[in-house]
Amino acid sequence: MKRDSEQQRTGVPLIDGLEKVTGRAKYTADLDHADALVGRILRSPISHGEIAQLDISKALALPGVRAVVTSEDCPYTYGVLPIAMNEYPLARYRVRYRGEPIAAVAAVDAETAERALGLIELKFRELPAYFTSEAARAPDAALLHDNKPRNIEREIHHEFGDVRQGFAAADLVREQRFSCAEVNHAQIEPHACLADYDPIARRLTVQSVSQVGYYLHLMLARCLNMDPAQIRIIKPYVGGGFGSRVEVLNFELITALLARAAGGKVFMQLTREENFLTHRGRPQTDIKLKLGMRRDGRLTACECEVVQRGGAYAGYGIVTILYAGALLQGIYDIPAVKYDGYRVYTNLPPCGAMRGHGSVNMRHAFECLLDRMARELNLDPFAVRRANLLRAPTRTLNELMVNSYALGECLTAVERASGWKERYGKLPRGKGLGMACSHYVSGAAKPVHWTGEPHAVVNLRLDFDGGVTALTGAADIGQGSSTMVAIVVAETLGVSLDRVRVIAGDSALTPKDNGAYSSRITFMVGNAAIDAAKKLKAILVEAAARKLEARVEDVECAGEAFTVGSGKQASLPFAEVAKAALVDRGPITVSGTFTCPPEAQGGKHRGGAVGSTMGFSYAAQVVEVTVDEDTGAISVDRVWTAFDCGRAINPLAVEGQIQGAIWMGMGQALSEETRYLDGLPAHASLLEYRVPTAAESPPIEVEIVESRDPNGPFGAKEASEGALAGFPPALVNAVANAVGIDLNELPATPDRVLQALVEQRRQARLANARKMAS
Amino acid sequence: MTAPVAMTKFVRPHDVAEAIAVRRENADSRFIAGGTDLMVNIRHGIQSPSALIDLTGIDEMAAIEVGDSAIRIGAGVTIAALARHAHIGAIYPAIVQAAEQIAAPAHRTLGTVGGNLCLDTRCIYYNQSEWWRSANGYCLKRQGEVCHVAPQGRHCHAAFTGDLAPALLALDAAVEIAGGFGRRRIPLAEMYVEDGRAHLKLAHDELIVAVHVPVRPLRSAYAKVRLRGAIDYPLAGVAVALAADRGAVTSLRIGITGTNSRPFVVTGTDDYVGRPIDDKTLQDIDRLVQKQVQPMRTTITSAHYRRLAAAALARRLVAQLFQQATA
Repeated sequence: MKRDSEQQRTGVPLIDGLEKVTGRAKYTADLDHADALVGRILRSPISHGEIAQLDISKALALPGVRAVVTSEDCPYTYGVLPIAMNEYPLARYRVRYRGEPIAAVAAVDAETAERALGLIELKFRELPAYFTSEAARAPDAALLHDNKPRNIEREIHHEFGDVRQGFAAADLVREQRFSCAEVNHAQIEPHACLADYDPIARRLTVQSVSQVGYYLHLMLARCLNMDPAQIRIIKPYVGGGFGSRVEVLNFELITALLARAAGGKVFMQLTREENFLTHRGRPQTDIKLKLGMRRDGRLTACECEVVQRGGAYAGYGIVTILYAGALLQGIYDIPAVKYDGYRVYTNLPPCGAMRGHGSVNMRHAFECLLDRMARELNLDPFAVRRANLLRAPTRTLNELMVNSYALGECLTAVERASGWKERYGKLPRGKGLGMACSHYVSGAAKPVHWTGEPHAVVNLRLDFDGGVTALTGAADIGQGSSTMVAIVVAETLGVSLDRVRVIAGDSALTPKDNGAYSSRITFMVGNAAIDAAKKLKAILVEAAARKLEARVEDVECAGEAFTVGSGKQASLPFAEVAKAALVDRGPITVSGTFTCPPEAQGGKHRGGAVGSTMGFSYAAQVVEVTVDEDTGAISVDRVWTAFDCGRAINPLAVEGQIQGAIWMGMGQALSEETRYLDGLPAHASLLEYRVPTAAESPPIEVEIVESRDPNGPFGAKEASEGALAGFPPALVNAVANAVGIDLNELPATPDRVLQALVEQRRQARLANARKMAS
Repeated sequence: MTAPVAMTKFVRPHDVAEAIAVRRENADSRFIAGGTDLMVNIRHGIQSPSALIDLTGIDEMAAIEVGDSAIRIGAGVTIAALARHAHIGAIYPAIVQAAEQIAAPAHRTLGTVGGNLCLDTRCIYYNQSEWWRSANGYCLKRQGEVCHVAPQGRHCHAAFTGDLAPALLALDAAVEIAGGFGRRRIPLAEMYVEDGRAHLKLAHDELIVAVHVPVRPLRSAYAKVRLRGAIDYPLAGVAVALAADRGAVTSLRIGITGTNSRPFVVTGTDDYVGRPIDDKTLQDIDRLVQKQVQPMRTTITSAHYRRLAAAALARRLVAQLFQQATA
């Protein structure tokens, strides 16, 4: 990929951006549902209990009600991990959290549907409920799932290298506990689904907000017991995912069940409260971290225990708890690592994957403790990171491949941009600088649904009109993946971006794709798109060579023209060559693929596939804060970040993604947290769940660092997730720098800050008194 | 869960008398202006009026008059209009500072002075959906028997969270109230009661027409704590009005919101008249405020924090205004 044109240097606006900013883009709720029935869900009012009675007869009898469904209509479990499908779309026999769907109604209008919900008769035999990991793990606690003793969904015990020896070799060993609150994606578009069942053809068409249309397809076939050939999944515009829709969600299955039961079209839109109940966010996490360090900042050993409060069902849980351990590595050179992870079932909405899946809270603990130990050893925060850099290519102790690595350059870039050397430690009290590093995978090298197929497939069509159509199942959820596909195809073929059209996410048209998760699309779908474009180019070059009476290897294609030599003597426009190519074979379809080789798919240890990837992104960031010591309020004044995304295929989009990730990290760091009152979400609105507003959004300076990954498309890696995890620790480190308090809890809300300041003053008074006394 | 809003009777009177007449005919009605508080509550199912009486067509309520001895602010004046009123801002910065910190720009464009003064009290057990409150057995403020904040008591602790009231209280404002029996004017402080269920002392057919603020040589300021720089209601909001002469306080009033079921004026501040403000007095003021605020577990953020923050804001504003006054 060249950087010749302005377009290549700065990037291009997203190809669907105009549709969005003009309001023409149709999101799921904008689809034509004038003639659709309205779907509504009856949710459990209790946290844990057996369903003693569920009588829908009165609801069914209400005029205007067309269908009522319960688990009788779906006795099948679902779930994203084939080894942990323990959830029913509608609770069967038992409910395990307040808000769990029990029954659903389709009616002619919303009022009738609401009234029908009120007519459903429910009785429970209540069971004890647990809202903390500690309570659920108690020896005498009742079990949420009978086959999971102590309510532990999965425990992980990994040890790489000699940890004991590592700590023995350290000059400083420190252990610290951290606690990070549960957070939710709070994507702006509420969940919605439109399902249309044709009872005569027995076909089902579902349009949903999913990031994973393929999984939705599989789960619908499973839960409705249908032949997948009878199902079509279409992805409309999606207003943000961040992981909230990266597994199939109960309301999608319920909408389809209603549509089939009613023999028609059903539209379901969840309220914001229901979005929070559906959840799948980042779990509340308790971390105990121990690090060993030599006087020069070199790490000698790491021991980490992570307990995740997973909620009532499995979801992605096993993957999340594995990620937290696996991604202790891959960023620094650590000679010995021990990890103990516990994923715990509790009577709360199920957690899931969220931007930076599994890595964020662990990274927070790590970067905070690293900073504090650096302080004790009188080392600069930058120096302590530099003392532990990896050297690519390498493999980590847990068999993760690191093929490109520019964290060192990232450190240099933010150190310079923030004026760190001149300013760190020289700001007045109340103002502070903090820094941290982070990384993330560019696609899980082993997909959760292992089929043996290629990791990604892209089809390209070329027809009489000369237009190139890229067909991909990859879900553009706002991250710009369709634009990425268009750019790499245009770039590879040597045609203008306007010539390429992208059709994404329609199971009847586009090749299956595993979906928008683990930041896999640029790396995997991008490579598949390049492969397809190369195949198409070969066909075109052959046709051009024939017309130009030249050898294939002498034909060049650039700027929409096929040329030989300098092009002055022999040049053909793209459209002419396309026509020539079609003469032989008619309209052309080619298919490109990408497959991660087995050696990229992680270690042989149990769970070793999680964390494996073809390429890690790396980020360093500096955060500047002001702390109000009267009120405990933190304001973020500025953020500088440098990000190694391998190669920025679309710099404009890369910058936007990095800023978005930092901003999301800022929300988790400053104000976002869920809070349950006996299992009821007190936070279930955008008033009480405090996503930052424009008022506290700081300027975020982004420097893109290009390490040119050997396997990435044009050298690219991911750019959407890696920067998030660095923000919370950089902020907490900045607060320590500003006012000398070490916060161990996230978010750093004013009450927590003030409490720490009050404690600091008390300690100072005590110390003073002791001094006076002695 | 968020019930669709059943379209109720909607009336838009042209003057105050007509508004009151409509109100008397509709027992279960509510006055509405910006609707930024009421509509959310209706959607949550915690308010379900059978008729809405829209006050935005009443000219008398929409005017601001700044005289030499008093300012009259119509109850229908929007928060945005008040926030950008330079003249009021020059006389009493506290009013404008309070206005510009209310919610977010869109709310300020619609919301009104009267609405903010009559804001419903708030509580995490109350401002929830019908499903939520039903699952929780409802609460004392509506449909239930128990206050989940203080289950032993028989008192509703929902907190008042309007931002304008403390500023107007500190400035000794009065409200002009119209009702079936004519008009009356009472000190704003007398309009509020320490009862989360019924914090407004207004008869069924009464409405606030305007606020009258006496013009005096006072310095004033308002500050609030909240988690975000916009949208959030105050966890604690403090307004201070102060005058000083020759290094000593001549007048000091502190208005507080967010911590109790009503906004209130801190008592005992007269003790500081005739004294300078120094570290010792600031510490005393801090203690005074801590003693008088009564935050309860009505918010996700701890009550203790709201107590400390209210005191800290009072201390800070008093110090700042005294310094200005004696500079």
